[in-house]
Amino acid sequence: MEFNIIQILLVGVIGFLGGIDQFSFLESLYRPIVMGPIVGAILGNFDLGLKIGASYELLMIGSMPIGGAQPPNAVLGGIMAVVFAIALNQPNFESALALAVPFGLLGQQAVNIWFTVSAPAMAKADSMAAKGDAKGIERLNIMLMLGIGCLFGILAMIGAGAGQAVGQTLSEAVPAWVWAGLGAAGGMMRFVGFAVLMKVMISGEFWTILIAGFASATLIDKAMGTGAYTLVIVAILGGALAYYDFQINTKIKANAGSAKEDYSDGI
Amino acid sequence: MASNLANNYKNTTPAQPLDRKTLNKMVWRSLFLQMSFNFERMQAAGWLYGILPGLEKIHTDKEDLALSMQHNLDFFNTHPFLVTFVMGIVLSLEQQKADVTTIRAVRVAAMGPLGGIGDAIFWLTLVPIAAGIGANLSLEGNILGPILFLVLFNAVQFGVRYGLMYWSYDLGSKAIEALTKNAKEFTHAASLLGIFVVGALISNMGGTTIALTIPNGDSPIVLQTVLDSIFPKLIPLGLTMLMYWLIAKKNFTVIKCILLLLALGIIGAIPFIGLFA
Repeated sequence: MEFNIIQILLVGVIGFLGGIDQFSFLESLYRPIVMGPIVGAILGNFDLGLKIGASYELLMIGSMPIGGAQPPNAVLGGIMAVVFAIALNQPNFESALALAVPFGLLGQQAVNIWFTVSAPAMAKADSMAAKGDAKGIERLNIMLMLGIGCLFGILAMIGAGAGQAVGQTLSEAVPAWVWAGLGAAGGMMRFVGFAVLMKVMISGEFWTILIAGFASATLIDKAMGTGAYTLVIVAILGGALAYYDFQINTKIKANAGSAKEDYSDGI
Repeated sequence: MASNLANNYKNTTPAQPLDRKTLNKMVWRSLFLQMSFNFERMQAAGWLYGILPGLEKIHTDKEDLALSMQHNLDFFNTHPFLVTFVMGIVLSLEQQKADVTTIRAVRVAAMGPLGGIGDAIFWLTLVPIAAGIGANLSLEGNILGPILFLVLFNAVQFGVRYGLMYWSYDLGSKAIEALTKNAKEFTHAASLLGIFVVGALISNMGGTTIALTIPNGDSPIVLQTVLDSIFPKLIPLGLTMLMYWLIAKKNFTVIKCILLLLALGIIGAIPFIGLFA
């Protein structure tokens, strides 16, 4: 499947918007779950974009900018996952995830380079501030934002232009069972996302909570067939637990505090 | 990051309290906190961009405005979704014409603890829930997936941004104490919810099954059917635990894990093996 120049330009526009939104504005439009169907529609397969975007989202779910660390880039990786899924046109679309991952790393490097080379602009900002030049500060900010947007727009166009050619060649050269294996691996990649989340969040007492969440979801879905909405019910259960936890812990702390004070009074 | 600045504003008469229109404008500008992010000062320039409408209202004296703009270009980094909390406090101090040293100290004290709280609320709780539900719908080909994700995420985001701005501006510098007093308990409770949902995601989103069959005359035993009757979703749980163990205990990187799964998937797919379906 050939992408025409207009499609590639439009993918560039999406890359531009995603490049900006990953740090500014809603910080949610850039997620693969949103960009997937849009890029899919541009490249002529909305439904596939919707599904592959969701798959890539699950892979990325543990790769958040936690503590300011830069995770593999969701914008470039997400766009390329759709490009590959459509160019490869394999029955198991999740095989595209594996091919998109290197582009996530490339995007991560692009962000790091941008954050380094744009630092000297701060000296300019200092001299503007010293003059009380509010308009200048606003212009400087907007130009830097457009800068990172353009960087990602260009990378996305290069990816869409070259990626489909690479994807098609691969598709013809590799036997079907390998694609099936790549697809199975793609379906497993979300477990890496979950594991990263667990590593950041879990400590001793939370293991039982994790198992309780797992058991609740399995049970509710098995018993009632709630499918996608299982998580809504589970989130309500979890919310109740969390509220209880917060109440108990703040009460314990308050009591511990007053006990201490009594003691200091010599009673 | 000028260090040889005057410590007091020339005009030390408290300014008029900021009106709702200006506060709302700054809430919108807070969305662009990271527009000029860089490794030297991180969000500093975007922070200044965000509070500029307020500073211009407060400091009618041109030199005072320049002084305020200069110290507000100090290194700045906080959680992007909670920044209006810092904005409210700093603006209330600016409006009372507090001395520069105090404002600097309060700004740093306020931006610091928010990182962990914000990560717990947004990246570790809200995104897994919103994206988890949304992705599940998307995978079924339902266009509600991305829409539900955006609505859930942004409803919370805007509620938090507006709420914190007004709350912390009213409370002034006391607000830091109010939130940080129970910060540990709050983070604990939010993490609990997050972990609970991650457990649910493993079950709900994990679709990997075993394709192996054991020859048994006319009725071969399908391993997955046996598993389903004893311990459904054992494969997703086991694979997640394996990944966790490799990452947490064996210092595997994400990329290494992905490569391992790729190998596992392809080896499993070699004709006549048929490990995964």
